[in-house]
Amino acid sequence: MDLFADLWMGLSVAISPINLVYLLIGAMVGMIVGIIPGFGPAAGLAILLPVTFGMDPIGAVMMLAAIYYGAMYGGTITSILLNTPGESATVASTFDGYPLAQKGRAGPALVMQAVASFTGGTVGVILITLLAPAFSHVARNFGPPEYFLLALLGMLTLIVMIGENWKLGVLSALIGFALGTVGVDLETGQSRYTFGSAELIGGIHFIPIAIGLFGLGELYFAFYRGLHRIGSGSIAQYDRKKGFWPDLADWVDTKFTLVRGSILGFVVGVIPGAGATIASLMAYSFERSFSKRPKNFGKGEMAGLVAPEAANNAASSGAMIPLLTLGIPGSASTAVLLAAFLLWGMRPGPLFMTQNPEFAWGLIASMYLGNMALLALNIFAIPLFVQIIRVPYRILAPIVLVICTLGTFSVSSSMIEVYLMFTAGIVGFFMRLYGFSPAALVLGLVLGPLAEEALRQTLTISRGSFWIFLERNGSIGIIVTTAVLLLVLPLMQRIGRRAGALKQGTVSEAEDAGV
Amino acid sequence: MRIIFFVVILAAGLMYSYVAFTNLDFLTMTGRLGPGFFPRGIGVLMVVFTLWSMSAELRPSAAEGRSDVGGYAGQVALIMGFGVAYVLSLGLIGGIPATVIFLFVTLSVLNRNRLLQNGLVALLVPAAIYVLFDRLLNAAIPEGVLPLPF
Amino acid sequence: MKFISEFVGTGLRGTGLAAGCVLGLIAGSHALAQDYPSKDLDWTIAFGPGGGNDIMARTLIDIIQKYDLYGQDIRAENRAGGSGAVGWGYVYSKAGSGYDISTTSGSLITTPLQADTPWKASDFVPLALLATDDLAIMVSGNSEWDTIEEFIESAKETPPTLAGTGTVNVDFIVPTLFAEKAGFEFEYVSFNSMADMQTALLSGAVDAMVGNPGEIVGLVESGDMKALIYSGETTPPALGDVPTMDEKGWGVGVSMPRGLILAPDAPQEAVDFWRATVEKIVETPEWEKYIETNLLTENIKYGDDFGTFLKNAQDGFEKVLRAQGAIK
Repeated sequence: MDLFADLWMGLSVAISPINLVYLLIGAMVGMIVGIIPGFGPAAGLAILLPVTFGMDPIGAVMMLAAIYYGAMYGGTITSILLNTPGESATVASTFDGYPLAQKGRAGPALVMQAVASFTGGTVGVILITLLAPAFSHVARNFGPPEYFLLALLGMLTLIVMIGENWKLGVLSALIGFALGTVGVDLETGQSRYTFGSAELIGGIHFIPIAIGLFGLGELYFAFYRGLHRIGSGSIAQYDRKKGFWPDLADWVDTKFTLVRGSILGFVVGVIPGAGATIASLMAYSFERSFSKRPKNFGKGEMAGLVAPEAANNAASSGAMIPLLTLGIPGSASTAVLLAAFLLWGMRPGPLFMTQNPEFAWGLIASMYLGNMALLALNIFAIPLFVQIIRVPYRILAPIVLVICTLGTFSVSSSMIEVYLMFTAGIVGFFMRLYGFSPAALVLGLVLGPLAEEALRQTLTISRGSFWIFLERNGSIGIIVTTAVLLLVLPLMQRIGRRAGALKQGTVSEAEDAGV
Repeated sequence: MRIIFFVVILAAGLMYSYVAFTNLDFLTMTGRLGPGFFPRGIGVLMVVFTLWSMSAELRPSAAEGRSDVGGYAGQVALIMGFGVAYVLSLGLIGGIPATVIFLFVTLSVLNRNRLLQNGLVALLVPAAIYVLFDRLLNAAIPEGVLPLPF
Repeated sequence: MKFISEFVGTGLRGTGLAAGCVLGLIAGSHALAQDYPSKDLDWTIAFGPGGGNDIMARTLIDIIQKYDLYGQDIRAENRAGGSGAVGWGYVYSKAGSGYDISTTSGSLITTPLQADTPWKASDFVPLALLATDDLAIMVSGNSEWDTIEEFIESAKETPPTLAGTGTVNVDFIVPTLFAEKAGFEFEYVSFNSMADMQTALLSGAVDAMVGNPGEIVGLVESGDMKALIYSGETTPPALGDVPTMDEKGWGVGVSMPRGLILAPDAPQEAVDFWRATVEKIVETPEWEKYIETNLLTENIKYGDDFGTFLKNAQDGFEKVLRAQGAIK
């Protein structure tokens, strides 16, 4: 088949020794950049782009792409160990990753996240190889009406995240939505809530808020609980007896989770603008409604970590499809890659893959190799990372605070973002203390502006009519999918739960803590 | 404390709604949804939900069983205070010196009587950050306004 | 070259410089200004790494260093934040200095209109405009319109929807001024990013869009999009046989300025030095390659001509944005 000839050609390009060195450097840099809170793949790419100016384009793109998906591996490590998401796409990984570490299962959680990342990344590349042309049509069907419906679908995940006190959950989401309206109104250009400050024209960014709410908020809360007074191993237990490797149950329980998370993540990733963050949140809530033990979610359920991890890595592969097949960047990171293509004198667009086959297939082939390298790197590095939680909290906490602060600053060299992060940290502490939902706030901040913009664009296009949602194939597709999720899933869940109850006897009736 | 937090949110919600209703138009001149359409809705809902949650809070039965004080509230205030001082000093003396001072002072309080350990952490961590950010990643570190050699 | 012919018009001093330029790239700078440069140059990039402004600044610095046009060291700093307010605010605070330089973009004009910045574009010393980012009006490949005339004719009956990136931006200003001159109306749909906008056009949600040629040329080559008209001086060949707004008599005269500014009240010797230096930069093959790969329009205007260009652009923006209600 042509396909394998192409892939083989790509592999022969990618496997040259110098290119492999670039690939490994990229993978390592990506992991490190991912670990530092604040640095996501987009910031890492932008900062390192100038380094590639003098390089051969194929080696350079292999390195940049490896930074991009490598950051997705690294981003989860602090989510699990410190409840501090490295970037937005790993927020969902804190929900069950951190509770797992608290239960003494940091080692298995880290191994499983590496495996999930690898599966997501690899399934993503396989789907690119097989289906790139077909999936370019998915991206072509997305206009404002579809984005609005997608944002609504994303908001359904709120129901899962809101926790026991639904009023406070809704209030949290509203606060996030309100923060999302700060900045220049996209449609009219009018400034909203900027109070004349130029710093706020661009709106309130997601990263300082997420780092503040989760990272600093958790840090203050740990002080409240007195963790700084205890000796080592206090935030999370690393139990030598329970060990480092996941047990059989972890593998058996999550084998389908891996596949579901990967496929869902890939499909969402293909849609420009939706990206890894929404993919991971959707995968989490989807998995929870699929699970036989939804009550364990948020308390350290392995599937709750595996699903978003597989999804965010698959999504970062999926985002390569509109970039390679249409020349349309689906995310901030792929936008930097697009800028790099232009710098190297290439013209991204529908003819890109036929005009530059060595480049395109070399890149795709390198992603197989890069994911394997990252899996190995991660597993080797885990014993090292686990040492982090053996440092007494009273010493670790100030260091975490410093890294969160400087990481936030360096993303856009802005002190305002640092002030925002600290405010979010203090608010996040009180939110945790009084039963609010920081996750719902973050979701409101991400999806709120998306929904508002898309609805206003849609109504401008349709001249005020709502029928447009039933006139477009893409919209109908999303509505049908949502209906299936809402109607069929609860039914399956009920059947599944009954079966599960019969098998296990009584299911623990512990209160659902939410997240 | 709990009630104060709600009052702060209520005040923020009221201010948000006030701006939405006075400065932002509900519809644009051409009859499209205006910049104030969503903020007005969000603002009103925020106020409603805050009041609703507060009324539940104020019922005496709700207050029972929830220990408001009991954690190390003083310690939290302390680390928050150190954090704020750190952020303010960043712009004054620059990222690396501020980090050295912050780490040393904070550790002297939290990790008492271990001068050597604290001193090492306060020097080595900023050094590692400097190498990683400035040398390897070429990322920005806050610059101070005071003329220091860093 | 076009550059030389424009240049002769500027007078005797200009021709002298051109001769110096021809004589040798290295010798010229030192002969002109003995005292300048005597210190390191502080180059402010008012945006983060990887963006258009950053890439242009770093390309210029590479050229200057490669040909040793500036005797001292150059420090490039990304002072990002507040849509340029932080970076240009920093340059503004260095009034009187000849060693604080910065690259411009559309935000130099729009940010002061939107926020209370202490500075305006006209406060800085304009050195030179180097190029402009111009826009093309695009429709989907299977659209019924093949020429701008067909588009306008149909637009006069039912106003089409036209997508662009943002409202306080050339994407909105250019089509608005163009439609005013050509006598039609349209419904502007503002998008957050080029990507959302392109898929909106491909999915048939909007009738047309405006975009920079660099970002859409691939879709033109594959036949997924068609360009109808171009706002720059000459249409890039890659867009096909497309008329410019000027050719049709509907020129708008507003575009995104890519140029160089110095801190307010910079000394004359610094201004003279940089003018001579820019003349050399734009002759280099590296610069030509930059213009070519980014599909920019080379448009060189020095000193006060650049100042006037900025002023016109600012007036155009202010007029349209005030009418739209974006600024008060």
